[in-house]
Amino acid sequence: MATAEAPAMIDAWERVTARLPLTEDLRLPGMLHGAILRSPYPHARLRHIDPRPALAIPGVVAVVTRDDILSDPTLERTYGPQIADEPIVALERVRYVGDRVAAVAAEDEATARAAVQAILVEYEPLPAVFDAVAAARPEAPLVHPDLAAYPGVSLNFDLRPVPGTNICHHFRIRRGDLAAGLAAADLVLEETFFTPSAQHVTMEPHVTVAWWEGDRLVVYTASQTPFDVQRALARLFRLGLEQVRVVVHPLGGGYGAKTFPRLEPLAALLARKAGRPVRLALSREEEFVTLNRHPATITIRLGVRRDGTITAKQVLAYWNTGAYADSGPGVATKGGYHAVGPYRIPHVWVDSYCVYTHLPPNGAFRGYSATQAVWASERMMDLAAERLGLDPLEFRQRNLLRDGDAFATGEVVHDVHFADLLQAAAQAIDWPHDQRTVLPDGTIRAKGLAVTLKGMQTPSRCEARVGLTAEGRLRVYAGTVEMGQGSRTALARLAAAVLDQPLDQVEVVFPDTAVVPFDTRTTSSRSTYMLGTAVQRAATILRQRLLDLAAELLEADPRDLVCRSGRIFVAGVPERALRLGEVVARTGRFELTAQAAFANEGGLDPDTGQGVASSHWHQSAVGAVVRVDPETGRVEVEHVHAAVYAGRVVNPVLARLQTEGNVVFGLGTALFEEIVFGEGQVLNANLSDYLIPSFADIPPRVTVTLLERPGAEVHGLGETALPPTPAAIGNAVARALGVNLTRLPLTPERLRAALAEPERREEG
Amino acid sequence: MTTLLWLEPTTLAEALALRQAYGDEARPIGGGVWVTLLLQQGLLRPRALLALHRLADLTGIGLEPDGTLRLGAGLPLNVVASHPLVRERAPVLARACGLVANVRIRAQGTIGGNLCEADYASDPPAALAALEARVRLASTQGARELPVREFLVGHYQTRVQPEEIVTDLLVPPPLPGARSVYLKFVTRSSEDRPCATVAAVAGLDAEGRCQHLALAVGAVASTPVVRPTVAALARGERLTPALIREIASRFVEGLDLVSDLRGSADYRRHLVRVLLQRALHQVAAAPAGGVRDGDR
Repeated sequence: MATAEAPAMIDAWERVTARLPLTEDLRLPGMLHGAILRSPYPHARLRHIDPRPALAIPGVVAVVTRDDILSDPTLERTYGPQIADEPIVALERVRYVGDRVAAVAAEDEATARAAVQAILVEYEPLPAVFDAVAAARPEAPLVHPDLAAYPGVSLNFDLRPVPGTNICHHFRIRRGDLAAGLAAADLVLEETFFTPSAQHVTMEPHVTVAWWEGDRLVVYTASQTPFDVQRALARLFRLGLEQVRVVVHPLGGGYGAKTFPRLEPLAALLARKAGRPVRLALSREEEFVTLNRHPATITIRLGVRRDGTITAKQVLAYWNTGAYADSGPGVATKGGYHAVGPYRIPHVWVDSYCVYTHLPPNGAFRGYSATQAVWASERMMDLAAERLGLDPLEFRQRNLLRDGDAFATGEVVHDVHFADLLQAAAQAIDWPHDQRTVLPDGTIRAKGLAVTLKGMQTPSRCEARVGLTAEGRLRVYAGTVEMGQGSRTALARLAAAVLDQPLDQVEVVFPDTAVVPFDTRTTSSRSTYMLGTAVQRAATILRQRLLDLAAELLEADPRDLVCRSGRIFVAGVPERALRLGEVVARTGRFELTAQAAFANEGGLDPDTGQGVASSHWHQSAVGAVVRVDPETGRVEVEHVHAAVYAGRVVNPVLARLQTEGNVVFGLGTALFEEIVFGEGQVLNANLSDYLIPSFADIPPRVTVTLLERPGAEVHGLGETALPPTPAAIGNAVARALGVNLTRLPLTPERLRAALAEPERREEG
Repeated sequence: MTTLLWLEPTTLAEALALRQAYGDEARPIGGGVWVTLLLQQGLLRPRALLALHRLADLTGIGLEPDGTLRLGAGLPLNVVASHPLVRERAPVLARACGLVANVRIRAQGTIGGNLCEADYASDPPAALAALEARVRLASTQGARELPVREFLVGHYQTRVQPEEIVTDLLVPPPLPGARSVYLKFVTRSSEDRPCATVAAVAGLDAEGRCQHLALAVGAVASTPVVRPTVAALARGERLTPALIREIASRFVEGLDLVSDLRGSADYRRHLVRVLLQRALHQVAAAPAGGVRDGDR
């Protein structure tokens, strides 16, 4: 195993001295700059577009409008990761304020941005709908009247659109007999919860540089999904996969924002028309109309017996996916089962709808539906505990999934530690003592808990190659995108450990579809586990090959050889040795490589929700201590303890930092992050009006438990601690004020309003 | 594309001459915190930027013979926040400047620039209004002074004329027994602009009777709200809980308050009442000359 003294990040120095190569910094000779004309209407028919005034501006080289797409039979009309519903620029209509109408490539960015404003467009406004619940009704204006005709691109689950509505996917779980389960309950509670839209706010905005070399397309892009982008571009431009090369340098943050094709199709089309490289980079304002988090409206009915046993659970969820589906269907599916929670419930019925509206597209966002689902599910657990007069910890412990139990999807769970994690979180905040205390200054200190089950991308696959050069350097070829999470360091450590190489002799090659083997994508906290396994396998094969070759050279039995500190030697005779690089050199090669694959299998039946949702589970629990000022409604979070299941920790420093980072992310969602819309327009599309936590907002105490088990698989930690954080804070605040809270974020004004409201709780 | 002209005078006389020559076509710029934002968003398209950062005349700090504290308009907010003279003579202003945004903004933004921005959601204006500070403006024709309360006229509007430059802020000497409190309330991140602020400056005699009270409430209306007739209720009185309640209630009566993403007018009305009561209780308990730490 790599040692704890090894550097926490192999590229930390380059990172802090701004020497890490980012796509943002890439400039090429002859490169043009693109800009996008965006719709001012949430929904309108495009009657007429005249690009001529823009073309007349000096410095403008090319303008792309729908005519370039409609007049070109070699171009596919639309693309999209799960439903091909998105055109490169609007064809017959615009679907949200900010939708792409046209684009310009010019000699400099200022000219491009000025030129798009010169394009003449005639719109015919149409009725629009912004709320997912309203949009799901049969009478709502349709965002995609032609939905049924789109080429269905199904990745890992079957799509279930509801024809003639804005529902582009309906995921169901049907387990047991809901009516019987509710009838067996002593008490049935029902409540509706809401989580608003949010922005990822990556430090580096979306950026792509594209150019053509004859009929080959080269794209440098800030993307978490190089292979998805390659596949989408090949399909759109009708090219072979080998004709599209996608290269990804480290990202200045991802958080899900940089998944699937985003600027690449437009940059490629602009570059093709201009005949020169084109750089397309978004402004901060444009980030807010490009991809956000799904607003979610989730209604839960929970049947419980007096002794605290859950008999049945019904979930009705609406995921507002905006104007284009993006990964919305996947969000609705995973959100559907995430809302069940890590509980043993015999009767479960879930209806989770992905709904089009005329808002900007919503897609993958750190937590991938679990944040919204856990807010609803774990608030409900506290409401039920309160009604039953049970301690919220005991109530949860009575129902938590344990090894060998079946989840709502029918799969039997193994290696689950929800009870231990929740216990660790409770203990860290000294639960059950002082759950609510009124302090001398009138503020109230209170505590809250929440627990989370989150799935990982299933099925998925990856391959990795590990090479040893004649110079003795170990090289790791993997499709994992480095976005600050430290995946390059994790893979370097894992490979180095197998060959007992010093870390400074390991190089992790940047993802390049022409160089590295296939990987599904860098999402769902899967890389350290999936790629890590493939890298270890490849490194093990490489080690054996080196041993075999060395055995011949040293005239020894390979079983008598030892591979240590960059050398192979005969056990007990350290002077009969070869450096690893020498072994390779003696074979006449520059590099000796080995490749290995790893895949996880599974999938759910979308009509019953039965099957395998996740090949293993991300598990976490959070305990929060808050101090609330009831006069103003202001919340101070004093302590957050996050307990996560790591299985096996690869990098202790980064594992801890990832978990703290999740807590800070959750803090913003809990207390103030919210994209505000007025008639579909984002009203706070800048960082003065949309605030994210600053260092001064971080609670004075953030503590972490990294739970390990001997021999366990590595479990990803990129998102694990995020989903329970808002719920635990919300449960603490609700306890402090003695009110029901259903809506995030917990702004001072909302809390004051909750205090003024008479208590509202329904019985089914 | 038109090129933005960069004017960088090194003396006040030179700057005033350029201001006279360009008028509205040259935008004066101190630290550039606000002007840069406006330029980036395309809300401002001047022909030239008149950079004032090299004028030594604008960064002075000292006492006038009558005890008035003179602050150069070009002083960064972090200098105002930490300068011993400001802390001694006008602690409420030091406190307010020390709570603006974050350390990077405070190092870059200037006190004069902040005032000329005239953003309602800002800390220094209410503190200056409570202190009854004045603004000194210069032009090639001479200089004039205006109370801060008159200098600020509305959202992003001041009384600066196209040929004028703000050179100094003048804070009157503290009255005997003076004590003050500054409270800032944010509803989102700690770096957010305020939802409401309260600056309270009081002079209490040895018996705890209020000889003087100035209150200014910021971030809730287009300019800081001062209600001298309400503050005058305290004159000659002890700040009892009943009197404090009355002042706070009377202060918000009939006020027309703004609604924004930080809070609605109704919430602000409630909040101002709460903050005023807290500020007055703290003033009553504060040692003479002292300033209390405000809520965040």
